[in-house]
Amino acid sequence: MDGKIVVVTSGKGGVGKTTVAASVAAALALQGKRVAVVDMDIGLRNLDVIMGLENRIVFNIVDVVQGRCKLKQAMIKDRRINNLYLIPASQSDEKNVIKPENMQWLCKRLRKEFDFTILDCPAGIEQGFKNAIEAADEAIVVCMPEISSVRDADRVIGLLYSRSIEPKLIVNRIIPKMVERGDMLSHQDVVDVLSIDLIGLVETDEAVVVSSNTGLPIVMQKDSKAGKAFTEIAMRMNGHPDLPVEDPMAPKSFWKKIGSKIGRKNKVQS
Amino acid sequence: MTMFNALLKKLMNRGNDDSKNVAKKRLKFALVYDKLEIKEEMLEDLQKDLIEVISRYFEIDRDQVMLDIERSEESSALIMNTPILAARHKKPAHKSSRM
Repeated sequence: MDGKIVVVTSGKGGVGKTTVAASVAAALALQGKRVAVVDMDIGLRNLDVIMGLENRIVFNIVDVVQGRCKLKQAMIKDRRINNLYLIPASQSDEKNVIKPENMQWLCKRLRKEFDFTILDCPAGIEQGFKNAIEAADEAIVVCMPEISSVRDADRVIGLLYSRSIEPKLIVNRIIPKMVERGDMLSHQDVVDVLSIDLIGLVETDEAVVVSSNTGLPIVMQKDSKAGKAFTEIAMRMNGHPDLPVEDPMAPKSFWKKIGSKIGRKNKVQS
Repeated sequence: MTMFNALLKKLMNRGNDDSKNVAKKRLKFALVYDKLEIKEEMLEDLQKDLIEVISRYFEIDRDQVMLDIERSEESSALIMNTPILAARHKKPAHKSSRM
């Protein structure tokens, strides 16, 4: 087998990298692929709690690259989803204990065993980021429709291009009502500024918070809009690149529809 | 502003003052600005190289040379300013121009 290594990155912290990595990985596994998710955020691990696997950690990625355990021993199998495995980060080491050559070695082995290896990159563009992109074949850049997030995404996109990786974009936490009112960048604005291809649009969804509270994958919650968006992103990665990206729009009331027909904007009068 | 004026303004200038348009404009400017940021040493190296090249053709006061990047909202420019003391009439052989 010769699987793909996909890094999920963003530059800025707090935009939803870990949720994207966990959800897309779970969705790919539900679609029948063998998937490993690796937490690259050494010292600040979080992917384990998002996936609900925190109480099963024995070994971690640093143990693997330093030869203290076998790769198999550090892989935590998700009992709810077949063929989904987590390799957790170490909580007590520093980011620079892992070297780029360690990642080359690790990814070479993961490629043989998994269809997809999803690397959850830490925030920033220092060593942890460099390690995460070292062996990546593909990249997903997560950004929010917000000025500082887009700026950092642009920086990261530049760094990925310099490594000949052409990233795909997820615009996360869109609030359709605010976009409609003209108070939030639309995904078209973001694409316009960053000029890379979209792989998905995810609107703000309270179910994501509930999912992280409980550790139950959002893609297993059938009525969640974000879950559906992540499932579709996984399909685009998994042989359906042309699946159309749905535009999250605010549900329009009758009067608002009439209002927009006559060209009047629905916003608070100043 | 009266309600009527506010409405008129909205109709004349639909959407242009939305906060997202402000964000987009600021963002585009920030990205251009970010990409122009270069290290101080790089500018110093460039200055040295430029002085070397110009010195092949002109006698210049090396201490008076000014090199800077000027940025405005529309464009950015590399500005070099140097007083010329005299032209060198005989073109020196390549690379042998150092005084």
